[in-house]
Amino acid sequence: MGRTVITITQQLNETESMLSCFRRTLRRSDQYIFDGLFASARRHIAAIGQAESLLPFESAMLAMLLEQSKEIAVLQQKLEELMAKNG
Amino acid sequence: MDEAKGWLLDVYADQDVGIVLWLLTDDDQRLRLRMDIAATFYAAGDFVLLRQAWIYLKDKDVKLERTTRHDLFLGERDVLAVTTSNLSNLPKLFTGLSRQFPALDYYDVDIPLSLRFIAHTNMHLLGRCQVMLDGEWVKAIEPLDSPWEFDPAPIPLRILTLSPDINPSIRKPISLRVQYKQKEYSLQLEPTRTFMIGLKADLKRLDPDLILTDYGDTWLFPQLKMWSEQSGIDLNPNRDQNKEILTRRADSYFAYGQVIYRGAQAHLFGRWHIDRHNAMSFGEYGLEGAMEQARVTGLGVQEMARKSPGAGITAMQMFTALRNNVMVPVQKQQVEGTKTLAELIRADHGGLIYQPIIGLHTNVAQIDFSSMYPAIMVKHNISPETVGKENAPEGLVPRTLRPLLEKRLGLKNILSVLDPRDCRADILKARAAALKWLLVVCFGYLGYKNARFGKIESHEAVTATSRELMLLAKEVAEDMGFTVLHMYVDCLFVQQEGFRWPSDFTPLMETIVDKTGIPIAMEGVFKWVAFLSSKRDARVPVPNQYFGAFQDGSIKYRGIELRRRDTTLWVRKIQLGVLEILASADTPQEWAECVPDVHAFVEHAKHKLKAGRVPHEELIVRQKLSRALDGYKSPSPAARAALQLQAIGREIAPGQSVQFLFTRGGSGVQAWELGEALVPGSVDTKRYCALLDRAIRTVLDPCKPLCISERLL
Repeated sequence: MGRTVITITQQLNETESMLSCFRRTLRRSDQYIFDGLFASARRHIAAIGQAESLLPFESAMLAMLLEQSKEIAVLQQKLEELMAKNG
Repeated sequence: MDEAKGWLLDVYADQDVGIVLWLLTDDDQRLRLRMDIAATFYAAGDFVLLRQAWIYLKDKDVKLERTTRHDLFLGERDVLAVTTSNLSNLPKLFTGLSRQFPALDYYDVDIPLSLRFIAHTNMHLLGRCQVMLDGEWVKAIEPLDSPWEFDPAPIPLRILTLSPDINPSIRKPISLRVQYKQKEYSLQLEPTRTFMIGLKADLKRLDPDLILTDYGDTWLFPQLKMWSEQSGIDLNPNRDQNKEILTRRADSYFAYGQVIYRGAQAHLFGRWHIDRHNAMSFGEYGLEGAMEQARVTGLGVQEMARKSPGAGITAMQMFTALRNNVMVPVQKQQVEGTKTLAELIRADHGGLIYQPIIGLHTNVAQIDFSSMYPAIMVKHNISPETVGKENAPEGLVPRTLRPLLEKRLGLKNILSVLDPRDCRADILKARAAALKWLLVVCFGYLGYKNARFGKIESHEAVTATSRELMLLAKEVAEDMGFTVLHMYVDCLFVQQEGFRWPSDFTPLMETIVDKTGIPIAMEGVFKWVAFLSSKRDARVPVPNQYFGAFQDGSIKYRGIELRRRDTTLWVRKIQLGVLEILASADTPQEWAECVPDVHAFVEHAKHKLKAGRVPHEELIVRQKLSRALDGYKSPSPAARAALQLQAIGREIAPGQSVQFLFTRGGSGVQAWELGEALVPGSVDTKRYCALLDRAIRTVLDPCKPLCISERLL
């Protein structure tokens, strides 16, 4: 069934290719992190779609931030557990 | 006046007046009956044009009347009603009229004759009925059952199976296997005259109701016609000897993102012909399913076995329209309403797909909404003419779907308590599957550009409602302490520490039903399930790609190589074997302990391949041609195999599958249908091992810890 508006997955793919020169100029190690940012956005495709925004990349960036905060929270928790264990 | 009782087998237009019916009577007779019914179509539009149309038609042996009829979207319209009793002449009459008056709107022109008949008599195809007869003429007909019965009286069909000794596209067959009840024998195809005399005698003696063939559409019936002319033996496989075989040409069309090929067709009159190799969904639900679809849609069994379920749902909508005095337009008239960009972005969404949490998870319940989209259409009265209206009366689409949905849920309820060894189980399953396909396509048809009763806004309303219901279900689950691992359009995967039996999830299911009003069912509790990541980036989850083992050890998998049609049987068998090894594990620890066994199993399989001990049939790759052969810039393996076939005079159309083997050297492939023996050692074992490795990586990857555990938060 044809859709008029392209899907969020397609929009993210397009944004990623638009930024291909940006990515190319990064160091190899940074490129891996850069790809990780898009991977974190892709974990929240449903939420980005539900935001119904004219600029979905704004929501995609929010998703990237969310994943970073989540990672920080997990690391914090692990650190606290380690500290508690070591007295 | 005579009376007869039996099953209605076939309905079609007579050459002169009315229709022909075939009745399979209770005393095992096959009666050819005639019935005088007329068909009416309508023209609407400018009054001057309608007047001219009247003048054009008045000498054409039709009854003309000016009246008012209901258009689903425009309301009451003044129309010219054109009635003819010569039903076979209706298409010609309409073509002439519409050429003269293209500006008029036409209605009820292309309604299948079987639908006109069932709307006129209240009968249904394959239904039991009682007829009052005056000679061969039906004076009255009364239905004795309904298409909505869960277990209708079985029709005592005589089934004759005909299959050549080999696929005719590979090699010229030399005999035809004939199977009737418990008997089976072969007829040699040469000498042709003897074969034709033998087959003609068999058809006369056995008088089958159904001729089930392999390659009947594309080989046997076209050949029979040719052999008939060559040998001078007139063999008409129709039961109605006044009719010729109805042939339809092969075609390729684009649907659901792929090119689909439909072979030529040979339809019979008075009996059915189904070619098992040219019947779209026959493999899915068989004869029982095709008969169920014929019963509820009003389209003949020969049609339903070959057509997509979309044709069936269109027929059902036409029937609802006929029964409710709503005219069926020849062409779709509704276009998408104007929207601002923001409105379009808001409306133009599909179902909710909540990306899975990658990795291996234990004790996960899969909960499915039952027939979610049709249930939404019925519950929320979503139909093209009701969308956006408050308190509208039940729309045409929900009215069509309600009995279908109720029957399917009823069948599923019966099946849920039936012993799987019960002889009715397979029949009921086939019927439920056939109804499922009709329900599946009815949603798509709301948004289909050519659907007569479709409107994109109603399609969007269904997906919007479904997203809302899925979010409600997620919120309910999270409120009750569950982690939602994945959601895919109409199903949820949930998990909670300490919950492992189906009954543990009952309160959640009850609350979801209570909140959404849509029935749900538990697919099962996985002792473990693995959600997969993208092959390109292991950090990106892929929806609806998973495999897992239920508590009873049964396996479920979606989106992996095992499900793909282009995976070779050899790879599929080994991937399934690996899953069976893993299914013995109850915990992630045990799962990891199974990995060495998996490696040993795979190495053994590779060793067998390299030693040439894998039958070539298991190595066949089957791929579809996505375009005509001259459209390829760099031919794919399938195109290269098709080129080999083209060189020996075989034409392959877009959408058709090509079977081939990967070989060393040359073009790298050998078309299977060339029928040439492979040179020993020419199979490209390296390529097959690479395909196997890829499939094995798919099932072993989840043991790698990849993601942050949600549960740590």
